[in-house]
Amino acid sequence: MKTFEEKWTAWIDGELAGAELAEFEASLPDKAAAEAEKLEAQKLGTFLKEHLPCQAMGNEEFFQHQLRERIAADAGGTERETDGGGRVWWPIGRLVWVGATALAIFSVCTFFVMREKAPTDQSQYLSQILNARVDPAVSPNATISMFASKDDKVTVLWVEGLQSLPSEYASK
Amino acid sequence: MQRRPLLLLGLWLALILGEAVSARASQTVWSGLVIATNVAQPDPIPAELARMEGTLKELFGYNQFKVIGQSRKSLVTGEEDWLAQSKYFSLHVDSKSGNESGYVLNLKLFQEKNLLLETDARLSKASPLVIKGPLVGNGQLLLLLVVQ
Repeated sequence: MKTFEEKWTAWIDGELAGAELAEFEASLPDKAAAEAEKLEAQKLGTFLKEHLPCQAMGNEEFFQHQLRERIAADAGGTERETDGGGRVWWPIGRLVWVGATALAIFSVCTFFVMREKAPTDQSQYLSQILNARVDPAVSPNATISMFASKDDKVTVLWVEGLQSLPSEYASK
Repeated sequence: MQRRPLLLLGLWLALILGEAVSARASQTVWSGLVIATNVAQPDPIPAELARMEGTLKELFGYNQFKVIGQSRKSLVTGEEDWLAQSKYFSLHVDSKSGNESGYVLNLKLFQEKNLLLETDARLSKASPLVIKGPLVGNGQLLLLLVVQ
């Protein structure tokens, strides 16, 4: 059973017909005033349609994304988005950000790789004595030589002529 | 959901950095002051010297090798310095640079406060470094550096 307000709205919208229309119009206390009001309402509707067009959504993509998220959550999260499933592609801003991040990662990797020095001409598997010196004032007769034992790759710096020390110097 | 790619990128970067740091941190240099002597009943050679026992005995002519001072240093940047010392001797090691194949070291042997010997050497991972020091009593001081 429709209320009077529902019938009134339907009458203004022209949605009443037949016996229902006749019955409603008969129930109106002042049909002329009602007709005038109906006319005003229709004019107002026409005016609004002409002068208030639907506004374009500024953040349409975000809204769509949020909406899909909500739908997916409501559906129990069983369905996952895929690239081929209508997912919106990344915007330019994010692509730029990801590109910058990739460049930063590449720079860090390059830094670590470049820090590794290229192997020298000499074998990198054997230790090398680059130079050696003793204090001539302390050990004037000292001589220095160097060689490598190829059996177990031991590199030896052989120093002769250092001042001998008493056995107590062997203490821990 | 939008942050997931960024989180993955961050995780990837962290893994790369962690791998790089752990790879560099895995190198340890053992530095030892060793007294070589000849005795009737020699003690077993220390584990750090076991791989070159034959060479040490052959080169220096001693049958016992005792560690009187040592240091085990884990190198992260390859630019660290450390000290191995006994009661009277100290070996100061200053690593100038390093990579996976080895380190460039500056070595200084002190007898108390007197500098006896200084040398620069490139220490390779696969090749121990042995330095013959002064005679001590009836034995010989040796300096050894090994990348472990």
